[in-house]
Amino acid sequence: MKYGKVYVEDVQVGDELPPLVKGPIQQIQLTRYAGASGDFNPIHQDDEFAKAAGMGGVFAHGMLSMGFVAQAVTDWAGAGAVRKLGVRFAALVRLKDVVTCRGRVLSKASKDDVHTAELEVWAENQRGEKVVAGKATVALPSRH
Amino acid sequence: MPTQINKGVVGKEFPPYVVTVERGKLKEFARAIGDLNPFYLDDRVGRASEWGDVIAPPTFPVTFRDEGADTGALLRELGTDISRVLHGEQELEIFRQLAPGESYLCRTKVVDVYEKAGKSGPMAFVVRETAVTDRANEVVATLRHTTVIRL
Repeated sequence: MKYGKVYVEDVQVGDELPPLVKGPIQQIQLTRYAGASGDFNPIHQDDEFAKAAGMGGVFAHGMLSMGFVAQAVTDWAGAGAVRKLGVRFAALVRLKDVVTCRGRVLSKASKDDVHTAELEVWAENQRGEKVVAGKATVALPSRH
Repeated sequence: MPTQINKGVVGKEFPPYVVTVERGKLKEFARAIGDLNPFYLDDRVGRASEWGDVIAPPTFPVTFRDEGADTGALLRELGTDISRVLHGEQELEIFRQLAPGESYLCRTKVVDVYEKAGKSGPMAFVVRETAVTDRANEVVATLRHTTVIRL
C-alpha cells in the first residue's frame, strides 16, 4: 500500500520501514525546493558560487533530505502521524546522488490511550554513506 | 585567519512575526519534495479527513520566516556570511496540524552558540529555537535549528 496506516498492535520493536528511494537529485529539484521553501542560498543553485565558497560545487538543501526522511515515515505511518523529528545532516547530498531513506522501530509507548513509537531514521547515498541520521516519534492508532 | 564568532547573540530574541499558511504554497512544498501524499495535495481527501482539510508535510514549518526581516543581519552580527553556513541539525515537534488559510505567530530566539573542531576545520554552531502558536495562543509546533558556520 503506497500510503500506509499502521496500528500500534501491528508494530514490533525492530520492525523496519519500507525504504524510500529518492533521486537521482537534479538541479531542477533544488531550484523547485528553493522556490517552495524560500531558501535561495546560491550555494544550492550556482556552481561557481559553491566552488568559490570551498564546497566543491552545489549540493542539496539539508531540508530537502529531511523532507525525504519525513516522507519515508509518513508513507509508512500515515500523513499527520509525525510528532517529533530530529536529524543531523551528516554528509552533503550532491547532484546525481540517489538517496535511500530508512527507519527502524526503537520502542513503543502507550499513555492515556495515546500510542507512540520511536524510530531511528536515516538516509544514505548510493555509496551507503549516511547523509541524514536522526530519530522520529510517530503517533499510532489502535484497533481497539 | 579563522573568523571570530560573536557569542554575544545568545539570548537574542527576534521580533515575533506572523505567517499565513497558504494552500497553494503548502502543495508546492509537498511537490518540491516529490511527496504526492493526497492528504497534502487533494482537497477532497483533506475535507474527508479527521482534520477537515489538507495538512502540511512535517517539515513545512521550517520554511516559516519573517518576510520583513533582513535575513543577512544575524549572519553579519555573528561575523560571517551565507557562503560559510551549513544546516547542521534540525529538530521539530508537532502538536497539531497546520490549517490552510490560518495565521500563526512565530517567536525565535538564539539559545546557544558554541565552537567545535569539525572534520574540515574549526566550526561554530548557532542554535535557534522557534515556537509557533495559533490564534488561541496554543503551541502548534516548535523548531530547533542548528546552523554550522565554517570558521
